Amino acid sequence: MNFDFAFAASTVPTILGVIGTTIGVAVLSCAGASILGFSFEIARRAGSVPGYLMRFAIDFIRSTPVLAWLYFLYFVLPHWGVTLPALVVGILGLSIYFSGYLAEVFKAGIDAIPKGQAEAAKALGLNRIDVVSFVLAPQMLRNVAAPVGNHFVSILKATPYLAVIAVPEMLGSALDIASNTYRYAEPLTVVGIVFLVLALAIAQGVNMLERKLLGPTNR
Amino acid sequence: MTTVEIFVGIFDGFRITATVTALGLLFAVPFALIFGVAQYLTKGAAHLAVTAVIEFWRSSAVIILLFVFYYVLPVIGIQLPAITVAAMVLGLNAGGYGSQAVRAGLQSLDRGQFEAAAALGLPRGHILALIELPQALTRMAPTFINQFIQLIKGTALVSLVTLTDMTFRAKEIAELEYNPVGVYTSLLLAYFVVCYPVTVFGRWVEQRSGGRKGLTNEF
Repeated sequence: MNFDFAFAASTVPTILGVIGTTIGVAVLSCAGASILGFSFEIARRAGSVPGYLMRFAIDFIRSTPVLAWLYFLYFVLPHWGVTLPALVVGILGLSIYFSGYLAEVFKAGIDAIPKGQAEAAKALGLNRIDVVSFVLAPQMLRNVAAPVGNHFVSILKATPYLAVIAVPEMLGSALDIASNTYRYAEPLTVVGIVFLVLALAIAQGVNMLERKLLGPTNR
Repeated sequence: MTTVEIFVGIFDGFRITATVTALGLLFAVPFALIFGVAQYLTKGAAHLAVTAVIEFWRSSAVIILLFVFYYVLPVIGIQLPAITVAAMVLGLNAGGYGSQAVRAGLQSLDRGQFEAAAALGLPRGHILALIELPQALTRMAPTFINQFIQLIKGTALVSLVTLTDMTFRAKEIAELEYNPVGVYTSLLLAYFVVCYPVTVFGRWVEQRSGGRKGLTNEF
């Protein structure tokens, strides 16, 4: 069996046809992971019992593979009577898996703000909510933008895991072509190249963002 | 089956999980060291070539790389056992990440270290091996431990190419009897039991190197 370039080329439109699903899943999962990760970090900072529980939960999430989370949600949720489309289960799985990492990003982003910022704001008479929303949050957002971007690339590279729970993203459609035609090498090579180009392009974008944010004036 | 029996059944697969991890390290460690140092030392065309190899392994989605190599190598006449292909792909992917830690570690050293060693007449190779690398690798130790955890978790993928690791065992047990909660909770726990001690060790290493600060800002 030889590598058939004409056949490989014929799979490109089908695979590129679902690139929107891949990017959409990555964007929604990144948003979900950021919201979860930020909430986890706030809970962890609360200290005492919720703080310790959250610390353990974050460690647990970080110690378990994304594949195990996807299987868990895909098979356990219906058992509990929650039937969701595979796409939603996939986004949920990626959000949970990456929330553990995003929590660390937010932790670092908050810790990097000099302590004097909050003290000075309080001394000026701002209340707690104003201190958080007008002094700490904007600085934190600038600190976390680049690392969140890097995790977005990681999430993008994890979207093909969703093929195992039958979400029709790019790897899934390549495997569909493969099982219909009994030719695996060509569609998989195509999806491999598409993913590499996509990941490199987005990583480049994140690098530019990072340089802009940490430009000569900051730090 | 009780939950304990299910857990023990899943842990049957630990042998394969551990074997793939160990074989993966055989690829990851040399790759990270050689390519990390090469990227640090080379310039011009050689630098671009080294970077291209690193980016291929680092920027591709590991699940796609695994499928590509599993199905494409036989087509071009290379027959390898599934476990070798899996260890190579997972190992070189981890090695790609590791190489960036090696390079970053080397670049973070004070230039004076190199200059002082050169002034004392040490050859370039000795400066690298005796002065630069020991400091760079110690500095990056927490990163390497995190990447080791990623490698362990990544081995869950080998269940997709018919190796009977912990994830594969869980799927086998799930086919024998309907108990998704028991099976997939045990699967998450099994990885937690394997990875958490490494996480704790990593934290200890990080604390020893003084990289971790307490929680400061009130959020």
